[in-house]
Amino acid sequence: MECSRILSSRRALLLLALLFCAALGSASTQSVVLVVRADSPVTDLDPVTVRKLFLGVPVLLNGRLLHPIRNRSDARLDQIFLQEIAAMSQAAYDRQILIGVNRQGWLPPEELSSSGRVLERLSSDPNAVSFLWQKDVARNSQLRVIRVLWAD
Amino acid sequence: MGRLINTLRARLIAVVLVIHAALVPLLYLGVSAIVEEGYADSFVNSVRSFSRLTADELEAVDEKDFALRAVALLDGVMLSGQVVFTEVIDGSLRFRSSLQPESAPVQRPDDFDFGDHGDQVYYISHSIKRGARHVLLRLGFDEAPTLQRIAAAKERTLTAVLTFTLASLIVSVWLSSVIARPMVRLQEAAKRVAGGDVHARLQMSSSISEVQELNQVLESMRQELVGANERLACEIREREVSERKRLDLERRLLHRERIATIGTLAGGVAHEFNNILTPILLYSQLALNDTPPGSARAHDLGRIVAAAHRARSLIKRILTFSREMDSTEVGAFSLRSTVEEALALMRAIVPSNVEITLDAQEEDIRVSGDPSLVHQVIINLCTNAYQAMRRSGGRLLIRLWSTDEPIEGQEEAGRSAVLEVTDTGHGIDASVIAHVFEPFFTTRDVGEGTGLGLSVVHGIVSSMGGAITVESTVDQGTTFRVYLPIARSAAPALAGDSA
Repeated sequence: MECSRILSSRRALLLLALLFCAALGSASTQSVVLVVRADSPVTDLDPVTVRKLFLGVPVLLNGRLLHPIRNRSDARLDQIFLQEIAAMSQAAYDRQILIGVNRQGWLPPEELSSSGRVLERLSSDPNAVSFLWQKDVARNSQLRVIRVLWAD
Repeated sequence: MGRLINTLRARLIAVVLVIHAALVPLLYLGVSAIVEEGYADSFVNSVRSFSRLTADELEAVDEKDFALRAVALLDGVMLSGQVVFTEVIDGSLRFRSSLQPESAPVQRPDDFDFGDHGDQVYYISHSIKRGARHVLLRLGFDEAPTLQRIAAAKERTLTAVLTFTLASLIVSVWLSSVIARPMVRLQEAAKRVAGGDVHARLQMSSSISEVQELNQVLESMRQELVGANERLACEIREREVSERKRLDLERRLLHRERIATIGTLAGGVAHEFNNILTPILLYSQLALNDTPPGSARAHDLGRIVAAAHRARSLIKRILTFSREMDSTEVGAFSLRSTVEEALALMRAIVPSNVEITLDAQEEDIRVSGDPSLVHQVIINLCTNAYQAMRRSGGRLLIRLWSTDEPIEGQEEAGRSAVLEVTDTGHGIDASVIAHVFEPFFTTRDVGEGTGLGLSVVHGIVSSMGGAITVESTVDQGTTFRVYLPIARSAAPALAGDSA
């Protein structure tokens, strides 16, 4: 009863979306994967490094600066990013990014609002690192999955 | 009710109530939402961080005895107190904390926000890379403590909001009272002024400048009204005094004219009668001289002569009243001496139960005229006085002083002597007092008085340029006050007068 009272309309919509997705997921499992270009020197990134990368901390690999790209193409993907990669709430993430920018001089991750643009960006930058739905990269030979971030 | 709502105080309170009724629920809902968001964000942040660290730690667990180490890690997670569900899915294997009661596998999808799915458990899963395979870590965090904190915070918010509302209401009542009180006082004062009490001062202290200015304006208006009212009242009083004086003068004039008419008539009759009486007295005296003494005829003629003398005396008094006196001695004389002489005579005839007192503070009060006439005035007044006290006795007080007060009915103002004769007798009735100076008016029995005494006094005083007044209270006494103009210094002194 208490929980149902505090549900906002946004949350209700998200719940409906999740239920809808869950219904779809009964047929096929969805997962979110960490992706780089196929010829990228990045072969694997541990969770802490991924977290650092998307919190704006400069990450060098073989002397090359990696470019994190935050995929904001849909709300659920955004939630998975916050839960699996940033491991914090949206407000805390924003706060951390601001602290990094203002105190450390770090650059915030680039944010793109569509999966197409994310794919383009990954294809054009061998140092770019982003995350996508597994289905979006399944038949893309130009990209390489280096880690499964979340699976339904 | 309508009148009550229309008062300033009620309106101020109503405005505050309406504002609070509109804003307080919004304030409560807003603060509650902020509180809820804060707690939810804190919870989500905490569980995501905790689960991420757990996942990272699990990923770092050595492959050897992975199952045992994973269960030990999950036991530690359970001991944190906020986790109610743990599970590691490694292909077909499932590990759970040994501290967790056995339950059916949870099929529910992950939560991504606080309160999702309404089961008070926040499920979160992490994919862990174990070499070539992926292991899934699922944790369930208890949302109930956070929900309780949210509910408690909402209760505190509600209490604070209600306290604020109550305090605002009290402040509004107080404030409305502060604002309305001077207005009410002003209204009451204005009502008193409108009701005729123009001296009710519009004085109130208020820190509100507009009210203070209004008070000052109304007070200045009131003062102008008071001034105009006083001027009007003064004019009315002056007119009333003038009217009273006019009526008094009119009354005195009528009285004088009436007495003068009577005096003229009486004087004319007395003069003619005196002419007739002269041969009667002369020839009866001659006849008496020719008649042998002791005879019956001599006795009869003697009676005729005596009656003729009494008639002459009466005529003389009538003539005195009508100012046709044959006064030969006119000059300044001491009033006190004359009064003392008259009182010496009165003491011989006044009975012993009547006490005669002379109160003369001033030594030398000189008036101009015939002292014998003044003597007669004193005798007449004192005679009337002692006759009023004849049966019961009493006190006869004669006072003598001078004054600067103008003599009533006299146009020429100047210093005057006042001769006051007061008795403690039976007094004169108010209906009688207006006629006491009229000739032949008497309240005595037939044969006891002629009714000429006071009219003669009036005639003498008037002929000397003076005035006479009378005040009397029945059963308490009577006071006659004679005003005579004081003689000018140039007036010649009478022979034999000590002064």
